[in-house]
Amino acid sequence: MTMLRAELRADRVTLGYGRRPVVHDVSIDITEGGVGLIGESGSGKTTLARAFLGLLSPISGNIWYGDQTLKKADMRKFRRDVQPVFQAEALDPRMRVGTSIAEALPRAARSRVPDLLEQVGLDPELAGRRPHELSGGQRQRVVIARALAVGPRLLILDEPTSALDVTVQARVLDLLASLDTERLLITHNLAVVERLCRTSHVLFAGRVVESGPTADLLANPAHPYTRALRDAVPKLGGDPPEAKGRTEAVPAATGCPFRLRCPLAVAACEQAPEPRDVQGRQVACHRAEDVLT
Amino acid sequence: MSDHLIEARDLRVSYGGRVVAEVPRLDVGAGECVAIVGESGSGKSTTLLSLLGLTQNAEISGQVRVCGVDVLTASPRALRELRGARAALVMQSPHAALSPATRLGVLMRRALKLHGVRDVDRTMARAMEEVLLDRELLRRYPHEVSGGQAQRFAIALAIALGAEVILADEPTSALDVTVQAEVVGVLRRLRAERDLALLLVSHDLALVSTIADRVLVMKDGAVVESGPAATVLAEPSHPYTRELLEALP
Repeated sequence: MTMLRAELRADRVTLGYGRRPVVHDVSIDITEGGVGLIGESGSGKTTLARAFLGLLSPISGNIWYGDQTLKKADMRKFRRDVQPVFQAEALDPRMRVGTSIAEALPRAARSRVPDLLEQVGLDPELAGRRPHELSGGQRQRVVIARALAVGPRLLILDEPTSALDVTVQARVLDLLASLDTERLLITHNLAVVERLCRTSHVLFAGRVVESGPTADLLANPAHPYTRALRDAVPKLGGDPPEAKGRTEAVPAATGCPFRLRCPLAVAACEQAPEPRDVQGRQVACHRAEDVLT
Repeated sequence: MSDHLIEARDLRVSYGGRVVAEVPRLDVGAGECVAIVGESGSGKSTTLLSLLGLTQNAEISGQVRVCGVDVLTASPRALRELRGARAALVMQSPHAALSPATRLGVLMRRALKLHGVRDVDRTMARAMEEVLLDRELLRRYPHEVSGGQAQRFAIALAIALGAEVILADEPTSALDVTVQAEVVGVLRRLRAERDLALLLVSHDLALVSTIADRVLVMKDGAVVESGPAATVLAEPSHPYTRELLEALP
């Protein structure tokens, strides 16, 4: 089945709370095949997700939805097209899960609750349960069912599996991969992006430091931060992951934000690197060629 | 029994007659790392807590010795001394273990005095250095440090108190990968340098494979497989272990 593309994109957005920007001049197109947003706590990835959902207005720049900015778009239609999937804690603990899902549906369509539960691999009988009576994986499926209720074209997924055990996580990832929607996936888990996203953006201190095809990024990173992230993932039977540099070094206020943590930093890094094309991807690093070799 | 720092035999923990964890045999020697793996509800955290007598309202049977203390029969005082100093617990959420209204330095100083540690200043400085933390952090409140720093502080506290055993329950699962690598690096180094016995509870098999000598796989309260980490993870004999390994993303 062919899908209409959900045309959502960030065009040079700067985002923040109060006067302090936490995301700087970021442009991201949500293209087909899934888009991943990777970064550590505090990198600005959830702030970007909030902006993509129209929950936070940019300080500068625009979020475009089709040929309109979100400020001018028909938000009723937008909310049907673009749905968030957060961690399962987002369910109302007092509400039966069937009611939680039904709330998202027009009155006439509430009989669809059992179908939706089946679609996410849950027994329709579970509709009468409350969240605490379900396992973590089941709760996450309920959150997905509720997002699917309005027939969205795009899901914005914020760490959808990070609270789950590996076996449960694997099944939820299978489910997400099987859905007929576009997706923006926010995570610090590189293996998850590899599975669900054709394109990825790596965020550090509110700036995109590397963008490109996910497979290339992980196989052969061009930014030292992408490489550090990849090398920190423990591999079964592999060498223990090594921490390179001090992770608590604060992002530099001027020049390249990663330079205080970067093993390759040189004097030139005191000048902020502009994103440039290196072997089919965009990299903001003066030393990308040295990272690649 | 022998000279293992943690030794459990026929350990059985139940709540209201329902068995939630049953471990026939668990040994951790000095300088050794043993990991308990399994999914939520498998009984791995219950096992870990029961080793320090920290399960509430549970019926426990069997034999448990930690640093030579018979945990199931020890007096409350002996247990307090064991937990405070020789055997340290590192939890998943380091911030939950730290009082939010107390500066880290005050907290550490208080704990050291309580346990009669002499030369407090030097001990504190050395412990912070060993976990690669700046001493300046001692002036901060818990909310002013990152998750990785708080976790390393918890380890520093254990070392300052002279811990011989560290029991860690998912110590890095709330942390980013780069920070996780740093915390694991600190644990590995301390284990080698100080001959620490490390009991690690984790659902991350890949992580476990890089640090543990031996592994116990738990499912529904029972140990379904155990042995050297390299063997169990490379050639699992139980279908559940295989399922866990195949689920790795």
